[in-house]
Amino acid sequence: MSASPSERSWTVGLRKRAVAALPPEKLLPDGQPRFVASWIYVFGVLTLAALAALILSGCILALKGPTWWHDNSIGHFFNSIHLWSVEMFFFFMIVHLWGKYWMAAWRGGRYSLWLTGGITFLVAVPCALTGYVSQQNFDAQWISTQAKDAMNSIGIGSFFNLMNFGQMYSYHVLLLPIAVTALVVAHVLMVRHHGVVPPFELEDKLKAARAGNSSEASS
Amino acid sequence: MAAIFNLNSHAPYISWHFIQLSVPNVIVIVLMLIVFVAAILLPFPGSGQSGGRS
Repeated sequence: MSASPSERSWTVGLRKRAVAALPPEKLLPDGQPRFVASWIYVFGVLTLAALAALILSGCILALKGPTWWHDNSIGHFFNSIHLWSVEMFFFFMIVHLWGKYWMAAWRGGRYSLWLTGGITFLVAVPCALTGYVSQQNFDAQWISTQAKDAMNSIGIGSFFNLMNFGQMYSYHVLLLPIAVTALVVAHVLMVRHHGVVPPFELEDKLKAARAGNSSEASS
Repeated sequence: MAAIFNLNSHAPYISWHFIQLSVPNVIVIVLMLIVFVAAILLPFPGSGQSGGRS
């Protein structure tokens, strides 16, 4: 018996896989485990809030161009919002990283979560640094002329030319933000799929309870 | 803030062997450590009440 046309459709297959991996009640839950009631668990969502402020302020700056903030007080305001958003983004991300490191948040098959978080940090660093060389001022000139030597010394100067403003600006406002946002979305979806990592004591109790259930079932 | 801190010169640096950190960066690192410890120690509002999933 052959499959019906709708069953062979890639959109139907993708939908079935997506719903199986992330059913709506798991994607948008109405409650969280009791152990999440701790300040250490809020730094992930604070990082997301800072990222949202970063993207919104960055979009406004991109609409007006890279020199707008030099001669316009509103532009200066949004540039300051953008700067302090990135300060908050890295501040909260580092505290989030420390918290997850000491929780060993890669437990329970969550290694992909840890990996996407680490890669997001590594991609966010050049995303921020390309902003420094896109400022259109003497600071940007100084940083780019110094940093080009670092790029050349490791052999990537011909691919990543810090003296090329157009290239750096494209990396800063398009390529790297897309990469960071895609990684963050993947990271959050994985959190929803796996759930928040439980504390060590609770994980031991859950394992013992599961072992007890399986031995009862077999006897 | 600019009246309190002189922003027209380079930041002072702390040097220890091969480690060199600007004082503003050290302040941010210390603030992150304080926030990290406070987040672990301070009680979360409503954490003592029943509710949520175990």
